[in-house]
Amino acid sequence: MRRYSITPRPDWERVVSSQGLSYHSIEGRPYWDESAYWEFTSGEVDRLEAATAELQKMCLAAGDFILRHNRFAAMHIPEAAIPAIRGTWKDEPPALYGRMDLAYDGYAIKLLEYNADTPTSLIEAAIIQWYWLQDRFPKRDQWNSLHEKLVAKWRDLAKYVQPPLHFAHDGDEEDLLTISYLRDTAREAGIESAAIQMSEIGWDNDHECFVGNGTTPLATLFKLYPWETLLGEPFGMNALVNMASGNKPQKGRTQWIEPIWKMLWANKALLAILWEMYPDHELLLPAYLDSPRDMTRYVRKPLFGREGANISIVNGARSFATDGRFADGPWAYQGLAPVRCVDGNYAVLGSWLIDGEPAGLGVRESQDPVIRNTDRFVPHLF
Amino acid sequence: MRRSREIPTCVLLLAASGALLGCTEHRDCVDAYNHKQPDSYCNAGTHIGAHFLYAGRSGGQYGDTVVGGHSVSRGGFGHGGGGDGE
Repeated sequence: MRRYSITPRPDWERVVSSQGLSYHSIEGRPYWDESAYWEFTSGEVDRLEAATAELQKMCLAAGDFILRHNRFAAMHIPEAAIPAIRGTWKDEPPALYGRMDLAYDGYAIKLLEYNADTPTSLIEAAIIQWYWLQDRFPKRDQWNSLHEKLVAKWRDLAKYVQPPLHFAHDGDEEDLLTISYLRDTAREAGIESAAIQMSEIGWDNDHECFVGNGTTPLATLFKLYPWETLLGEPFGMNALVNMASGNKPQKGRTQWIEPIWKMLWANKALLAILWEMYPDHELLLPAYLDSPRDMTRYVRKPLFGREGANISIVNGARSFATDGRFADGPWAYQGLAPVRCVDGNYAVLGSWLIDGEPAGLGVRESQDPVIRNTDRFVPHLF
Repeated sequence: MRRSREIPTCVLLLAASGALLGCTEHRDCVDAYNHKQPDSYCNAGTHIGAHFLYAGRSGGQYGDTVVGGHSVSRGGFGHGGGGDGE
């Protein structure tokens, strides 16, 4: 795993904008950063792919473990959501994608967290870095089959969803563009779709069901919106009561993608449960829910934290912390990972899964050890 | 690792250019007594009994009673603060 500096394409802003990445810069600094790239060996890509598949198997086992041992309280999952989580875990309604964030220093691969519910940076990983490779290194390769796998997954799901498949977002530009790209992949699979803002989702008081912008019931709804946020809102209970059961659409009920069982994996408590199940596993870091125990080098993460918010790093006598809206916890404590750092650039790998299968890689860089939503996306090749 | 050379992204490009527009059926925002209110009253998600009536009838002024129609409440989601992907 090596980092190389390179001169960006002279018109890179225009190029990536024309490919759909309108948020290529944030506050005048590149978010899409092609002044560098990361090179992997094919052996390293094989290792990362195998590690992702292995971690996915472990997360499936962890889901069974949580249900069998009733660990919901430790994960701070609302009691009202438990029947729906159990039901969807058993019925396996449509689920699409996720992204594991991995630390890799060229030697050890460690799971940092699993963004299983609302992952973004998808356009950069699936499209923009692929076209960058064609422009700059057309004879090289990239770990990236995201687009094909998304289309293939929608084709599989076509008989399990009810068009028009609605894609909901909260109005943020990145989220709007992410669901727009996902709509393109569904469209390529022959599934008609529509977009809606979360705030525009309606509750039909006469028929007791969710509706779109007008009065058409929402049969299948993809939401780029966290389950834990959704459940705490005025319509949260309606979502639980009206949720479709089984794995096919049900008249008058809504089928949600990602399904509510993804709360088990998007929660940082998963890290402690995995460590309990697989102590000293080479792909895991020590993790606990009650305290850092005997760790002197560790990271404190909010169970429901997002985008690097409210992360505290304790490294012996040194410490580092980010701010955010999750300051009240609850927390998970995870051992400090060996993250690759070159010339002051810390790199975290986002390993994508479609339909539970490894599907591609995105590299994010930061000037400090915590990756936040505004930190740079840097292309890769092998 | 990818077979295709081109990735068709019509919806994405439309969204990136800001050209995606929605369309909705005619509706009136009303309070708990079916008196017409601005849409913001219903979208706030904080007014008890606020809802939209679809295909209802009224004089068109705020405060008018809207009769008939189909009752839909909105604004019950979307208070997460934005940027909820990760």
